[in-house]
Amino acid sequence: MATLRIIFKHHKLEILMVLPLILFVLGFTLVPVLQCIIFSFQDQITGEFPTLGNYREIVGSRKFGEALKNTLLVTLIGLGLEMSVGMMVALLLTTKHKFRGIFRAITMIPMGVPTVVSGVIMLYIFSTNGYLNEFLYRIGLIQLPIDWANGGFRTLFMVAVADMWKVTPLVIVLLLSGLESIPTTVYEASAIDGASRRQNFFYITLPLIKPFFTIALILRAIDAFRIFELPMVLAGRNTMFLGTYAYSEYFDYNNIHTSGAASTILMVVIAIFVFGYIGMVGSREVEQ
Amino acid sequence: MNTSEQRGLVMAEHKISTKLLRHRLNQGLRFLFIALTIAFILVPILLLFKISVSAPQDILTQHPPFLIKNFTWNHWKKVLAAGHIWVPLWKSTVVATFVAVLGVLIAAPAAYVISRLPRNIKYGVLLAIFSTRMFPEVGIALPISVTFVRWGLVDTNLGLVLAHLIKVLPLMAWIMTGTFDSIPKDLEQAALVDGCDKGQALLKVVLPLSMAGMAAGSILCWLESWNEFTYAVYLCLAESTLPIKTYYYVRRGNWFESAAYAVFLTIPVMIVTFVLQNYLKSDYLSGALKY
Repeated sequence: MATLRIIFKHHKLEILMVLPLILFVLGFTLVPVLQCIIFSFQDQITGEFPTLGNYREIVGSRKFGEALKNTLLVTLIGLGLEMSVGMMVALLLTTKHKFRGIFRAITMIPMGVPTVVSGVIMLYIFSTNGYLNEFLYRIGLIQLPIDWANGGFRTLFMVAVADMWKVTPLVIVLLLSGLESIPTTVYEASAIDGASRRQNFFYITLPLIKPFFTIALILRAIDAFRIFELPMVLAGRNTMFLGTYAYSEYFDYNNIHTSGAASTILMVVIAIFVFGYIGMVGSREVEQ
Repeated sequence: MNTSEQRGLVMAEHKISTKLLRHRLNQGLRFLFIALTIAFILVPILLLFKISVSAPQDILTQHPPFLIKNFTWNHWKKVLAAGHIWVPLWKSTVVATFVAVLGVLIAAPAAYVISRLPRNIKYGVLLAIFSTRMFPEVGIALPISVTFVRWGLVDTNLGLVLAHLIKVLPLMAWIMTGTFDSIPKDLEQAALVDGCDKGQALLKVVLPLSMAGMAAGSILCWLESWNEFTYAVYLCLAESTLPIKTYYYVRRGNWFESAAYAVFLTIPVMIVTFVLQNYLKSDYLSGALKY
């Protein structure tokens, strides 16, 4: 207690400087999250606490099951596309050639486009009389237009591509900073040992940028699970994701309890992924 | 002897030519991939612009042309003349500006203290603050919306600024800690030796040196708030921000108005991003990653 008082006395200024941020984070982030969890365990009519009624209700509904499945699938497809393409582009950006500067500038452009706008753009491309259908028609792949938004795998693919367009630049930036941190001497050494390019990639590049890969993957996965704006704009109310399901429970049915339950489940899904991944693959990297 | 020598030469030549061929092929594939990537990035943006300046008969057909056939400014003029854009535009600008200013005012002092903490505590604190960005926004927005209805903050600028700060502050604290880390402690100590007190050392030594980082951080906050959708959709009922207004026209299925709104929403962002390119590149992010 006495030491605490001494700390307070000597660091009055510092405490005053930190306090606003800490109070804000406590009051406007942690308290709401707790409230959300409490809502989810409260009875809808009597307000009795705790009860599992809300969870029983949404887990039993077909809409929620689909939302959960869609969220997981879109994360899987999106991450696969983003990480692989991001990796290829990042690798191309490290090799020297004429167009590197301009190529790099162009790859960063989607970062500057608001997510809502990227959704609007994709809406035009994927609509039935949109440009993707027209393109496929002109090169002779299809005769009749495809309805991309009518649910199923097509719609998930559409949302994943829209998401990929917007966020791959971030993946590229993260991987590129990893690639640039590898000293060239390492490659000189491997050249002396006669390593091929493939060996270089698998035995030097990949292990050395693993921490950057892990961070990019985790950041992207968190955002992919929470996907909200793109489905709102693109998929409408037909294809639900966990985020849009929680929104719809609140705005369409005015039910804070089921909405809270859906959000809580989303939170748990994210936590399982992040800690699972760190536990399995990258605890050492994250510590570094 | 002679023939075997010749054969060796031919084989060597053959080897070289296949190597050259493979090199060429590699290069060709590489350029193809680059060209496809560039098309994938640029074509959608050009299409958005095209729709916002095309006459309806070019767009609302079964087989729309890829190039602009009938150019018109009509949709832009109509959106500006109808005047529904001014209120959201003003609201977005005011909110984003307040978020940028308050973001710096709250996060910068705290980030300074965090950056001067002992190493092991510092990363713990930073990670704890930053991990709040892991929570799903719909989960935070729900209780915030319920509380703000009670407090009468729904549809007000103050409510939206507070909500946007939830998203912006952790990012800002992270970036600003990196900025303060790059200012050597010795400079402050020298000021203290010269007879400054703590406050003076901060204001006269640390503050001027961190100005560039603060400016970059606050512009990033401005952009985050300008683009923000989730909290705005929970908290705007009558008076919407520009992204929500754009979404409203998407819902109504109006291609031209939503395209024009989307263009107006993007223009400021594009300008700011291009001006800021040097800051948004890997330096800041990699700085954050070195922890």
